Parts: sequence; structure tokens; C-alpha cells
Amino acid sequence: MATGRRRKEVRKQALNVKVNGEKHELLIEPNALLINVLRDELALTGTKYGCGIGQCGGCTVLVNGEPVLGCLTLAVAVDGADILTIEGLSKPDRSLDPVQEAFLDHSAIQCGFCTPGMVMMGKDLLNKNPAPSEQEIREHTRGNICRCTGYTSIVRAIKSCSK
Amino acid sequence: MVNTRILTQEFDYFVPETIRETLELLRQYGSEAKILAGGTDLITQLKQEKISPDYLINIMKIPELNHIEETGGLRIGSATKLCDIKEYCAKDRKYTALYEALCSLGKIQVLNMGTIGGNICNGSPAADTAPPLLAFNGRVKLLSERGERVLDLTDFFKGVNNTAMAPDEMMIEIHLDPAPDDTGSAFTKIARVGADISKITCAGVVERHGDICASCRISLGAVAPVPMRGKETEKILQGNRIDTFLVEKAGKKVAEEINPIDDIRSTAEYRRNIAATLFKDVFWKAWQRAGGEKR
Repeated sequence: MATGRRRKEVRKQALNVKVNGEKHELLIEPNALLINVLRDELALTGTKYGCGIGQCGGCTVLVNGEPVLGCLTLAVAVDGADILTIEGLSKPDRSLDPVQEAFLDHSAIQCGFCTPGMVMMGKDLLNKNPAPSEQEIREHTRGNICRCTGYTSIVRAIKSCSK
Repeated sequence: MVNTRILTQEFDYFVPETIRETLELLRQYGSEAKILAGGTDLITQLKQEKISPDYLINIMKIPELNHIEETGGLRIGSATKLCDIKEYCAKDRKYTALYEALCSLGKIQVLNMGTIGGNICNGSPAADTAPPLLAFNGRVKLLSERGERVLDLTDFFKGVNNTAMAPDEMMIEIHLDPAPDDTGSAFTKIARVGADISKITCAGVVERHGDICASCRISLGAVAPVPMRGKETEKILQGNRIDTFLVEKAGKKVAEEINPIDDIRSTAEYRRNIAATLFKDVFWKAWQRAGGEKR
């Protein structure tokens, strides 16, 4: 069984990214995962680490407008990208995005752990399809697992933002 | 099973911009290197310490590996994202089986990250794109500094997580047969929940002349060490007039022909029983589509 080992001094690499509209230039190790860079280097702890192996969708962020899993993305692989996290949805005056408001209005939050991922998927769907059906909402969020709120209110919240 | 918040393993990372550069790196580092083509599977394996490469070569920035074109069949670059293939196949639904496989594969996020080459180069018997690619008579173009070779997908899969690809080789392209109007195809998958790994998958391509099945290719996933063609089943159907009796008989052959195991997702017995049913569903769907019915 392989173990973590220090084979030699691995060179740190430059990472230039725009996160929530703000440019960052970081020096990171090649094995740094995107979610850890967001949470630990940039203190954006809204994105949650759930299962770590791509099953729960809790770490979903938008990279160049497309939702990806932060826990299975090497940070070096998104060099030059434009990243949007849950923190980037609220406006500069701290007011919430309509999807976030809808989650509050429909009590689509219980423990809140899946919420950032769910909201990002809801936002992504509404960006591409302003009037999704319930089926389309369930289809789009099928990779995001919630264990306490229940999916009904989450789907209802996203549906309420439909034009 | 190890699963840590960080990647404990250390490696050097390369982002070549050309195929030539990649081949040079593969010649130099070969068996100590892994190709990163999306990472949904590779990073999971790294996290679980199933693999420990000293070098990662990210091929996602090579434009020549990212294309979908129809010239004498369908040609898909190995680093083409699954979401782009799905979108392409949605247009005219000629490659329906591939489209249906992509619709059922994992979650939206995984389709945005994963590539077709990544899905099959890991050699997983449960890779969802493998059965439709097999059913469309897929061939893969492999390249190394030693030269180019084209392999039938049936010869490409060698065993669980094992393919015919040499350490200094990379996959360039996947080439599928044309899908003319008198053919139809379908894919079905059984999984616990929508975004889960398959218990069993089945795909079929049927060429129909009236009531006669002129030719067909049936393939199955997660029922043997490799994604496989049901060649004995195909023999029963090919060149014959299709009726429920014959399809029933073919279904029995499917259950015989596969070689499933008991694992975390299902028992072998269940897989044998369900394989016959799954095959029949797939066959009739493909058959109706070959007859011009609505897709």
C-alpha cells in the first residue's frame, strides 16, 4: 500500500485565479485540492467538505461558469480560471442572491451543510434555464446529497426562482 | 479505506500543450506517471492511496484532444468532456445509446469534469460509456514515440483496472461506426440511485431490415472483469426474423454468457437474472428505434 511520502522537494507552483471577482496570486503545492485552497488559503469556508470522494456534491463551486467538485479538483489545474463560490453570490452590500433568499423563505435549510452546494447547483440551472420544471431541478441536483432537510423544500425553493 | 481531507501523496505536475510534449514526458517518466484527464476517478484513487504516481500529466490543455466530428462515423478526442459529448449527441440522437449512457452517468459536476478517455482508460468494468462505445464498434487510437496503433475496444480492455495501453502510450481518439437510419440503439443501467456506480449496464445497436435483424451488437458492463460484447447472443439474433420467442432465447444466452461476481453493489445471481431482462428492454427499444419510431 502506498503511503504519503516526501520523495524530494516538490516545487510549488504559481496559481493565478479570480475568485468571486477578486484576483489572487498564490504559491501552492501540486497536490493541493481546490477546496482546501479556497477554505484555508482564501478563508472562504462557505464551500463544504463532505465525503471527499465526489459522492455528496457539498464542495460544488463554479469554475468558468460550470459546476465542479472542489474536493476532486487539483488547484493547479484551474490556473487562470474564474471561480465562483457561495460567498460570491451575495452582493457587495451583503444582501443575498434570490436563490439564497428562496432557500430561507422555503425553509430549505436544516443543518445547512449541503446548502452551499445545493444553492450553487440551483444557481447554475437557473443561469442556463430560467424556467426549469421540477423534474429538471431534481435531475440537475441529483448529485447533491442532503441528509436532513429533505429534498422537497429544496426543490420548491429553486422552483420559486423560476421565471 | 483511506480518505483524507488532503492529498498526502506528492508528485510533480505537468501541463503539456502539445501531444508531442506529452509523449516526451511519457517516454521519460512512463510507469511513474499518470495521465490526468478530468480527475474524478484519478484523484479519488490518489486520495484512497490506491495509486502513487511520481508525476501527473494533465492533458486537458491540448486542443487536438478535444473534438467531436462525424467523418466516417463519430470521432471523439480522448480529452473531450463528457458534457460536451452529451450535448452533441442530444442534437440528432443518432448515437442514442451513448446519449442515454451519458444522461445516466454520475452527476452534472462529474460530466463537467470527466472525459471520455478518462472514463475508459481507467479500465473500470463499470464504466458507463464502455457498453455504448463497444456497441458502436469502437476503436481507439493510441500513440507513443514508438508509433501509432489502433485497437478494437474489445482488445483494449484487459481486466479490472487494466488496459492494453503501454506506460509510454496515450489515447488520442475514439472512433465509432456510422449510425445510418436503419439502425437503432439503446442503453439501460441499473443503479441504486441516480448518481451511483452501476450494478449492471447494457447497450445494443441493431440494424433492421423489415422484420429481419440484419446485424446487431450487444454489450454489457459490470458483469465481467471487463466491459464485454455478448457475441453468442448476437449470433442468435443476426440474420433472423425477430419475434418474442427469439428475443427470449437471446435473453437466456445473455445470462449464460456473462461472468458476474458478488460485490458491494450486487450479487452474481441478481446480475444474471436482471441481465436477461435488461437485454430484452434494450433490444426492443433499439429495434423500435431502428424501425423509425420516435426516439
